[in-house]
Amino acid sequence: MTYVERRGRVWGLIAEQAAARGGRVSAADVCAAVVPEVEVTGAWLSAGLDALAGHLLQVTDEVARQLADLQLTLGEGPLLDASGSSGPVLASELADGEWGTRWPAFGSAASQAGAAAVFAFPLVVGAIRAGVLGLYRNRPGPLSDFQLGDALVFADTATLLLLDAHDRPAGLGSYRAEIDQATGMLTEQLGVGITDAFVRLRAYAYVNDIQLADVARDIVGRRLRLVPDPDLPLGDKT
Amino acid sequence: MDGQLLSATFVELTDTMVADFDIIDFLHVLTQRSVELLDVSAAGLLLADPRGELRVVAASSEAARVLELFQLQSDQGPCLDCFRSGQPVVCIDLSADPRWPQFADQAGQAGFSAVQALPMRLRDQVIGALNLFRGTVGAFDPEVVHVGQALADVATISLLHDRSMRRTDTLNEQLQTALNSRVVIEQAKGKLAERLGIDVNQAFTLLRDQARNRNQRLSDLARAFVDGTQVIAAPSGSPRTSRPGRIRQP
Repeated sequence: MTYVERRGRVWGLIAEQAAARGGRVSAADVCAAVVPEVEVTGAWLSAGLDALAGHLLQVTDEVARQLADLQLTLGEGPLLDASGSSGPVLASELADGEWGTRWPAFGSAASQAGAAAVFAFPLVVGAIRAGVLGLYRNRPGPLSDFQLGDALVFADTATLLLLDAHDRPAGLGSYRAEIDQATGMLTEQLGVGITDAFVRLRAYAYVNDIQLADVARDIVGRRLRLVPDPDLPLGDKT
Repeated sequence: MDGQLLSATFVELTDTMVADFDIIDFLHVLTQRSVELLDVSAAGLLLADPRGELRVVAASSEAARVLELFQLQSDQGPCLDCFRSGQPVVCIDLSADPRWPQFADQAGQAGFSAVQALPMRLRDQVIGALNLFRGTVGAFDPEVVHVGQALADVATISLLHDRSMRRTDTLNEQLQTALNSRVVIEQAKGKLAERLGIDVNQAFTLLRDQARNRNQRLSDLARAFVDGTQVIAAPSGSPRTSRPGRIRQP
């Protein structure tokens, strides 16, 4: 399955959840959609700069809530590790010795709560941190490569939904270094942090109905600059 | 091939793989050393993202990076064939090869006439490819192919280096961390380029130099610079270029 196909399918599943709920698509819909798709027992989503200061947005069940709480109480666990390393933490067997050593308190508490495997995905775009998506299983076992690919795309979509207010995230498209470079350039042009720069870049593409990659290319090529005040027209071609 | 350079390169690469080394910096150095050692014009390295796409993580030059990206966008080319088959793919004269007409065109415009793609394998899985581009037509020396494959293998090992290989999940964790580091570095390049009025390639060189001078990992410095907790100034002696016309607030 290609990335584009996968992204479309994942978006469809999230939109179905929102429709069933009768509301606009939001990051919270990701939790309900991801659980059956990657065959986990439950999920939770927290927003915020880091997992400790984060704000729990959504849980699918009581075990997921306990897992989220446990990490805050104990100060250790896969979500904290994931938000520190910027990569996922895939603990497919909590009873396994390696994980027991890594999180002595969390491992046994999580097992008691009913989790046998925990997978944590930081919601990041480079230096931007939007939150963490946690998944758990009541039986041990790794995500298959296919499930992992899906979980990563669910996490990408949750990231964009947390950062943007649009109904449909414009999508990152296939990866382009120019988008990241343009985001970095905008921090200077607009005098804002990296998260705001990313949101402004995407908003400019969305409002003007231009592909994100094309806007990015114009900014990196120094044919387009954005202006700091959001009340002014969003940008000028030079 | 220069035997001394060969052993010096492998010693350098394995010496770099100490605890807490920077994977993106490492792979960048690996593509540069591939060019020097194998007498090719450029090298690029692709990794498979479990999301279902290949990503360019390192390239010895901007031309190589653009050509790699072109293959991904047009969904054709020797590097994709190599990745999909898990076998080396060679083309000794792109202008006379019917397999990838668009790629051959694009490569020709970039000044490349021949390409050798080498798979990065881990057990029975293909996780990426190292691609060597050359400006002249003709067969690749068997020794070049042999050593090139050894460099591709070093790249594979480097991804797994600082964790045990016991867990099957490790590679995927490392890979996602590496891919995100690449994004942080690109963000930092953009910020630095805009701040100093330089281009993004100059910004990358400056970032790498600064990381070395400060004895810091490239991605850590990049992140700190983007977050605003560390400052990078223009190197002394290089006059600061004036910024392109800034839009003024009324």
